[in-house]
Parts: sequence; structure tokens; C-alpha cells
Amino acid sequence: MSREIKRDIIKALSNENLRGALGRFGDAYPASREAAYANKDFPALREKIRSIKSYAADNLEDLARSFSEKAAQRGAIVYRAETGAQAREYIVSLALERGVKTVVKSKSMASEEIHLNSALSGAGLDVAETDLGEWIIQLSGQRPSHMVMPAIHMTRGEVAGVFTEETGEAVPADIPYMVKLARERLRRKFLAAEMGISGANIAVAETGTVVMVTNEGNGRLTTTLPPLHVVLVGLEKLVAGLSDTVPILEALPKSATGQKITSYVTMLTGPAGAVDASGNPVQKEMHIVILDNGRTKMRDDPVFKEALQCVRCASCLNVCPVFQLVGGHVFGHTYTGGIGTILTAFFDGLEESADIQSLCIGCERCKEFCPGGIDIPRLIGELRARQTREKGLPLSQRVLLKTVLPSRKMFHGLLRAASRVQKPLLSGEGTIRHLPFILSGNGGNLKLPPIAGTPLRDLLKEGRLNKAGAAAAKGVVGIFAGCLVDFVYPGIGLSMVKVLEKMGYRVIFPQGQTCCGYPVRQMGAPEVMEGIARQNLEALGETPADFIITPCPTCTHALKNIYPEILHKDKSFGPRAVEMSGRVLDFAEFVCRQAEENGLTLKPLKQKLTYHDSCHLKRSLGIDAEPRELIKKAGADLVEMKDADLCCGFGGSYFMKHPELSDQILGRKLENIFASGAGTVAVECPGCLLQISRGLAFTGNKPGVKHLAELLAGLI
Amino acid sequence: MTVDPVEVAKEKQAGDLFGEFRRSAEAISARVYRAGKYSEAAGIIAGLIREHSAKKVVATATPLVERLSLDGISGEVPVCRDNLRLHAAGADIGVSEADFAIAETGTLVCDATDINARLVSTLPPVHVALVNEDRLVAGLGEAIGLYGCGDRGPLPGYLAFISGPSRTADIERILTIGVHGPAELHIIFVGRPGGGDQ
Repeated sequence: MSREIKRDIIKALSNENLRGALGRFGDAYPASREAAYANKDFPALREKIRSIKSYAADNLEDLARSFSEKAAQRGAIVYRAETGAQAREYIVSLALERGVKTVVKSKSMASEEIHLNSALSGAGLDVAETDLGEWIIQLSGQRPSHMVMPAIHMTRGEVAGVFTEETGEAVPADIPYMVKLARERLRRKFLAAEMGISGANIAVAETGTVVMVTNEGNGRLTTTLPPLHVVLVGLEKLVAGLSDTVPILEALPKSATGQKITSYVTMLTGPAGAVDASGNPVQKEMHIVILDNGRTKMRDDPVFKEALQCVRCASCLNVCPVFQLVGGHVFGHTYTGGIGTILTAFFDGLEESADIQSLCIGCERCKEFCPGGIDIPRLIGELRARQTREKGLPLSQRVLLKTVLPSRKMFHGLLRAASRVQKPLLSGEGTIRHLPFILSGNGGNLKLPPIAGTPLRDLLKEGRLNKAGAAAAKGVVGIFAGCLVDFVYPGIGLSMVKVLEKMGYRVIFPQGQTCCGYPVRQMGAPEVMEGIARQNLEALGETPADFIITPCPTCTHALKNIYPEILHKDKSFGPRAVEMSGRVLDFAEFVCRQAEENGLTLKPLKQKLTYHDSCHLKRSLGIDAEPRELIKKAGADLVEMKDADLCCGFGGSYFMKHPELSDQILGRKLENIFASGAGTVAVECPGCLLQISRGLAFTGNKPGVKHLAELLAGLI
Repeated sequence: MTVDPVEVAKEKQAGDLFGEFRRSAEAISARVYRAGKYSEAAGIIAGLIREHSAKKVVATATPLVERLSLDGISGEVPVCRDNLRLHAAGADIGVSEADFAIAETGTLVCDATDINARLVSTLPPVHVALVNEDRLVAGLGEAIGLYGCGDRGPLPGYLAFISGPSRTADIERILTIGVHGPAELHIIFVGRPGGGDQ
């Protein structure tokens, strides 16, 4: 990670205007989006789009050929540009050949991608962006900070300043006035321009049609008034048939701006009629430039092909807790946010995306909202792995990943040593100021919990378990604790044992278990995770456990979903991973399912309680109802906080890598917790527990925060 | 802008496409009228001309528009049908007709291949669109399906879907109606099915 990005983050965080605008939009977006999708089946729509776009990606060349033929039959001239430079040259030469002096443009992210404006003005042409946001960006010499709302980072006051400079008259910071001014100024440009350049949201191979989705009406004017029209369209916008446009047009406006449909949807098939400025009919010319610039390379990549399913709605930006803090000038290049990180790697090179890869906290909220069904966090993780393979890791991480973590004995030995040497460093409240924890990079005043004196694995050694002598009538449960519960929060493990034994299970703790390996993958070393996965499979496979229960959703996700995926080529461990996957369950899910038949009776908890959804539990494992059911079963008064499933800012090592961002995300979570009025926050993740307690430590630990295992064990 | 999904579902069952259209279009700031007879439609336009103190009106020379005999109702105000590239930018009101109307989204669908259809609906600050009530369809898919089948001939060169007036929220996410396109959209349904004389 470079020093520049740290500097940019701090700068963005201190920009009140930016945070105000992004925060307000981020708050309002989910509700307006949901209202737009009322009576619509979003998962079904997403599946349709996924299938349409992945079919198109698989048949890109055929569709491009068919599109070109059909568009040519209708009188358009199609040019295939392999690179941005080729597209620029084609458009600039065309303008010069036709004697064009003024150009009007409607919004096109592809033109931003290839820096078309500077090429046109470099050739002496007068180019005007006509989308209001793009015009503001153009006049202020910036780049768009958001794919749909390019100037969202600017206040009305800043826009007034830009307009004052452009017009030479004092422009008040009055939005309707400024909109009117833009209309008048740009109307003159529209009426005079000899060339119009537009983008496209969809290109239909069956008919040679380009489809534009707009709101302001500038797209209609750009494609109507100048007798020469150039469409710049990325190869990934192709779909096979006209009916394929329907799901995309249904989803795009709803996901982008919470509109059921935009003011204008325009379908252009060949050049339509035109007249010159004096009203004489002229032959309209329509040129369609299909841009590759890295898209075929993306298609040929078995992992990243999926990114071509993007419809550029920017919902991954709108719901990203990090984007909401720093905006697109930090989190992105031409394209911003989660998908922007991926597109940057392919359109501008892996190196360009290196810094922004680290901004993804991995909360997977974007994945839940993406109408193209793209697993954006997974793709960003893959970029990290590739970056690491190319550039290697910094020394401290290299030692950790290559030497320490693969050896359970060394890793755990270091953690035990850390527990001994930290003692003089403990603060009065029992949190640790300078954690000598091996994973700590940046752990200044973070109020971290100390490493436990005795890890869970020692507390649960053979002979210390099953004191009641249960006959294992109900079955055997193996606990997979995960590092945090094993070494920092052993109390959660003991609570699990208490609940599970009460339910009649015999509990075992396989001593060969180690870190699940997920953090290693996040750091960009998936191959190290494979080795760790094999160790855990050995450790857990040799036990008589009917179920393997974990108190940590990240561990559950790793054991259940990631091990079978990364070991599928391994003839020996692959099938074992699949077999084990079926036995792995999250603690709350297991207890909730089994509680009734296994007669778990609890003392009633007469308390106001709120529940925080862990990202991995809700989004990777789909578990959000069970913990709530358990809380209700315990007789507590469950009050929902606002945005219960918004990330707490922990993100594994993220809170140490980007403490300034993690703290801000945590702050938002704490506000919602306080507003709920609950006396206790229940969580089902030791990471969330660490993060939220760290925040609540500053407020005298009120309300309290508890893992569900602790909560239930206290009611037995 | 909140729409009660139960109401919407009821309308769909009852097949009240007009009611659904009106609700959807008004939610996005369009104004919707129902004129049984052509003379009523003409009266609505005359009212708009007065209301806006319009000095110039531009209109497409299309069948539905022609039936209204706009010259008769606009008094002193000229109604231009030719040379619209010269007249539309300075006109106060543009009148055109739509081929279909989509109830779910309050959208008009127009074959705007003829440039006049675009000039009158993009340049003046007020756009009045006429549409036959029997041209209402339920959703976007149905509307595109009407054009999309092979035996219906080739797609129009310029197919326009219009939903409400032009809008922007590019400065501070504050919605402003009327940017480069019309700030007002008036939609007049003509010829109520089974509504007798037209």
C-alpha cells in the first residue's frame, strides 16, 4: 500500500462536504431502490441479467459480428477499436475530415476511460459535455467520482464557483438557477454542433440497435440535432436479442437511482432523419465505435469473465461503507468503487488498481445488491492474489504467511508467548494498548482485548470435557473455535460447551485445528490457505464428530464453502472437504435448529436487546433469521437497530490496516446501536464482538455486547 | 411518490391500465388527462396555450394531432408544422403523438424516426403528447414485444420511451425538473374505449 493512498484517505475523511453528500445519498439509497423494486422479483431479474450477460460474454465475437452486420444494413458505419488509442484516432480523424468545429457529448464512461475529450480538444475542437454532472466535471478539470452521478462530491457552492468562472458573471449557489443556466448555455452548443458523441447502455446484436438510458434529455438532443453522430460503446454492452434489453432496462434505473425507469430510454437502429441548422434535410451519418480495450482479455480470463455482467448501475458504490466515506477520487480510477477496482485492473493495468484493492473491507454488501450477480469481493480478492504473485509480499507479512501460519505449533507458540509478554502493557480496563500480537501492523490506541492467559484448547483438553458423562445419545459435536475464540475469547468457547452439553451432545475439541486460513487468502496468499485447509481437514476428519460447530461465521464460511472450492482439484483432500462441508454449521444456526427437539430450556431474559448481523453470517451463509429466533426464544425484547446488516468495520486485519476508515464505519454502527435504546447488543461473530466492544470501551461499555453463545449460556 | 403495492396489484387484476398509468405518470411529475372526444383534447391544449401565454406552438403533422384542428383553437398563436428545426427551439409548446403507453411506468412509446417528432418533444419547455387509449399496454416487456417480432417489420430507426419531464439530480442529489428537455409533460388520452363518439 502506498503512502499516497493513506494521504488521500485522510484528505477525503476531512472533507465534510464530500462526506455529507455521500453519506446522505448512502442513507437514502436503499429505501428508494427498494421502493422502485416494489412488486418486482429482484433475484429472478438478477438471474435473467446474469444469464443474458454471461451468454453474451461467451459469444462476444459472434455477437459483435452480428451487431456490426445488422447496424451496417441499417446504414450505420461500425468500427471495431481494439485499443483506446484506436478509438480516439478514429473519432478525431472523422471530426477533422468532416470539418467539424464543435462537438456535443452526452454521458459516456467509455469516453472517460479513453480520455476522448483531451484528444478532441488537442485537435482544436470545441467539445462540450452536456450531462449536467459531466459538464461541471469538465469545467472544473476533474474526473467523475461516481459512474452515475459524476459530480456527487461537489456542493452547490463549489458548482456556483465553477459556473462563475465559466460565465464571468456572479452565479448564485441556487440549484434551479444553475440548472437553468446550464440549459441556456448548452442549448446554444446543441444547436450549433456539427457532431454529437454519445455512449450506450446496451447494444443489441439481433437488430444492430444501441440503447441509451438518460434523464436530462441531453442524450436525445445529442443524437438528434448534429447531422453526424458517433456512438462509443464498450464490447461488454452487447446482448443477443431485443428481448434481452427488458430485464436490463427493468433493473438499471432502479438499481442506479431508485427510479422505476429513467425519463428517457432511446433505441437507435441506424441513422434516423436529420436536417441541417437551416432546416434542410440532410443524410445523417451514424458511426458506431465498439471498444475492446481489455474487455476480450477479461472475457478470456476464467475468473474475471464474470465482471462483464456489469450493467454500470453503480449500486456497488452506493452501498459500500468505504466508498461512502472516501468517494470515487480515492476509491477508484475512471471507474470507481468495487467494480471500478476490477475494471481499472483490466483497462489501466493491475498496478493501477494495486492501492485501491486494499480499500475493500470484504463485507459483501455490494454482492447482495449487484443486479448482474457479480461476486465483486471475490474478484477483488483474486486481484490481490495476482498482485501478490507478481510483486511479492512485504517482509513482515511474508514471514507470517510463509513461515509462521503454515506451522500450527509455531503460530500458537507465538500467540502463547504474546500472552505472557503483554502483561505489563495492559491498561486499567484490561484492554491492551500496544498489542504485541503477531498480526498487528498498526495497532496504536485501538483498545484491543488482551490475549487470554489460557487458550480455549487448553481449557478443553481431553478429560476436561464431558464432565457430566453424557452418553452421547444425541451425537458428538466437534468445536472449531477459530483464532479469536481460541486465544482471545475462550469464554465464548466455554459457553458453547455449556449450551451444547445441556442439549445432550458430547462435545470434543480436536487439538490439531489451527487458523481457518481465511485471513491469509485476504492478504493475497490463497495457496497458503490450501495448506492450512489440509491441516484442518486432517485434524477434524479423524474425529467422531457428527457436527462441526463454530462460533465464527468467517471460519464456517471457510470450512463449509471455501475449502471444497480451493481443494477441488486435490484427489485426496477434495472429497474430504466436500464431505466435511455438510457437517459444518454455525453455532446459532445449529442451536436454533436443534433447540426444540433437544429440550433446551432457558431462564427468560427480560431485556431490550438488539442484534448486529455479521457480514459473513448474513451474506456468505445466508443466516439472519436463526439468531433472531434464538433471541426471541430466550424471551428478550428484540429491537431492530437501523441497518443491522451494515458492516461494523472489523474486516479481519482491515481494522489495523485502515484504522481511520474502520473507526468511521464503527462510529456509524455505534450510532445505530445507541439509537435502538437496547441494553445489550448480541452478535454471532467474535470479530464483530471485538470491534463493537472496542468502540463501546470509549463509552463505558454501555450498552454491553455479547456473543450469542455467552448470552444463552447465561440463561441455563 | 409512494405507491401502495396492494392498490397496484388490485388495478392489475382489474385491468385498469389507465388508472395505473395515471398513478405512475403523475408520480414522476407528468400530467395526465382523459379526453373522450377530440374536441375535449383540443380544449385541453387551448387551456395550456392560455395558461403558458404561449406565443408559438409546434406540432407534428401526424393523424391524431391533425384531427384536433389546432389552428382553430389556438387563436392568434401560430401552430408550425414545417421547418421545425428553425421553429421548435423558440416555441413554447410542442405537440406530438405517441404510439403506445405503458401503464406500469407511466411511459410513452413513440416511433420518432421522423425528426419532427423529436424536435417538438425535445426543444420546447412544454411537451403535450396525445395517445389513443386503446394503445395502453401493461409493461415494458409488452411494449418492446410489439416491435420486437420479426413479422412486424424492422425496428423504427429512432424509438423513444418518454417517462415524465426531463430531470436531473446531479447537484447535491437535489431533484430539479426540466434540464435540457421539457420541464412539463402533459399526456392526453383520447378515445375512451366504448366511450361513444369521437
